Amino acid sequence: MDDMSLKDYLAQGGKLTSPANVPPRYRAELLKLMATFVDSELAGAAGFADTINDGPGIKERIAAAKIVLEKTDNADKVLKIMGDFGADEARYANHHPWTSRLDRDADIGTRRVEQDMRLAVFNYPLQGWGDAVVMNLLMGQAVGVQLEEFTKVSYQPLAEAFREIAPVEARHAELAFEGMQRLNAEGLGANLQSSVDYWWPRVAASFGIGNPDRFEALRAMGLRHTPNAELKSAWEERAGATLGQLGLRTA
Amino acid sequence: MARFHDLKVTDIHRTIRDAVVLTLEPDDPAAFDFIQGQYLTFRHDFDGEELRRSYSICSGKQEGKLQVGIKRVDGGAFSNFANEELKVGDTLQAMQPMGGFHTPLDPANAKNYLGFAGGSGITPVLSIVKTTLATEPQSTFTLVYANRGVATIMFREELEDLKNRYLGRLSVIHVLEQDAQEIDLFTGMVTEEKCAALFRAWIDVESVDTAFICGPEPMMLGIAKALRDHGLNDAQIKFELFASAQPGRLKSKVVSKQAGKQANQAEVAITLDGSTQTIMTAKDMTILDAARQNAMDAPFACTAGVCSTCRCRVIEGEVEMVANHALEDYEVEKGYVLSCQSFPVTDRVVVDYDQ
Repeated sequence: MDDMSLKDYLAQGGKLTSPANVPPRYRAELLKLMATFVDSELAGAAGFADTINDGPGIKERIAAAKIVLEKTDNADKVLKIMGDFGADEARYANHHPWTSRLDRDADIGTRRVEQDMRLAVFNYPLQGWGDAVVMNLLMGQAVGVQLEEFTKVSYQPLAEAFREIAPVEARHAELAFEGMQRLNAEGLGANLQSSVDYWWPRVAASFGIGNPDRFEALRAMGLRHTPNAELKSAWEERAGATLGQLGLRTA
Repeated sequence: MARFHDLKVTDIHRTIRDAVVLTLEPDDPAAFDFIQGQYLTFRHDFDGEELRRSYSICSGKQEGKLQVGIKRVDGGAFSNFANEELKVGDTLQAMQPMGGFHTPLDPANAKNYLGFAGGSGITPVLSIVKTTLATEPQSTFTLVYANRGVATIMFREELEDLKNRYLGRLSVIHVLEQDAQEIDLFTGMVTEEKCAALFRAWIDVESVDTAFICGPEPMMLGIAKALRDHGLNDAQIKFELFASAQPGRLKSKVVSKQAGKQANQAEVAITLDGSTQTIMTAKDMTILDAARQNAMDAPFACTAGVCSTCRCRVIEGEVEMVANHALEDYEVEKGYVLSCQSFPVTDRVVVDYDQ
């Protein structure tokens, strides 16, 4: 009974607990998953930092600064776990200019560009305060759905980090919702729908295309549980309902 | 980045025929201020090949000493070395404590903890038991400890002493695979069904705040399933995977018949942390090994072409990367390679770890 392959163990819901007991392919996929999260958080925080000064009032600027701080902190939590695998955390945090963006009308679909693993959506530039808040709401809710998936990952230290991160990210989406309510109340919401139209398909693309073979491989390792399409429709439902509350419609 | 420190072996205590407890005195005590349940990763050279193995700390925080328990495994290079060759006064090298097999402790807590250990899986659980009971005077601990037989129970006497010291707060249930006991339930393997039976008669699972499990994989799965079926959620169940999953056997060395021939030699210039060394090396040796054999502290971890920690950039010449599970196509196009998988092809190769 003592002899059980790690493959069977993982397929049956077992958890791995340290770099010393992860098999090579698992390690690669786990590191990729972590790099995707870290890069997206760092790029997201870096992009949002520039909009702090665009906040129409001090409350908005405090909220934006808090989001930048906490997203950076969330990146750090996961980067520490990559560090357990030998990654050079200091070098990693600086290995790419996180503020870099493509043109607003670049069309990269779900592809990643340059040398980092950020989700494609984080390659597009924000245009002013209202646009930043819309992006933050839509992506915040997408991250919420994605984190529900990733708190189940079979690498226990990462699942624990994501359990700490999830409520913080959920609060960011709430702050964005409150920010949009305030813009509406102050009559500044005229351009919000065009921002929704811009960001909706790009956030939707962050759920990925969903290669079934790859998904199965990841599911066998306990790194994924729910197919991309299901996650995406869960987000569409939630985000659609939230937009409805703000008098906006999905793109 | 992880770094190795020297630790002096100050005591070797044989707990059972096949297991020792090492007491270690680190050169840098601050670096070894561990949390209960953490492990140390040792490195040791066996016939020129470095092997890394992790062992859990078994001492409690309050004991003021650093101890690891090492059970001998058939064919396990490090565990045999520790059990048979290591002497008091020897020096070992280990990275500072790592691992998240713990929950935060608070003297104000009045919690009920449940631990499951299989064989040498007791080591981190013992550290948790001792630290928790000493830190939280109002908390209780129930330990289910699975072994083949009485003779293989590591720390049997120590657990008895702890039971007496923490009367009413620590209970230990020994489940033995082969030796018969007064209570039938305590004989056999710790399976999902066995847990369910224990939860009916012996353990109030509903009052459990956190459960710790360390042992062989099938045992952990069965226990976790039983715990979930009885209402615990994932955040309440802490796993520590048994060390058996680590590759510990030395592989036989491949000796190249062509070694020494000029055609098999390459000149490799390696830049690391701002300085460059030029090395004559065999073409059947990886860039990473060439760097490390020349005392360069080149980064590496998995040496399986996977974690990308050993990534470097080829500036001049050509290498052959035999496996790549980490780098994307665009990185390869830019000249990045995994140095642990890359062999020189041209007579001169220039690589840079800093780019």
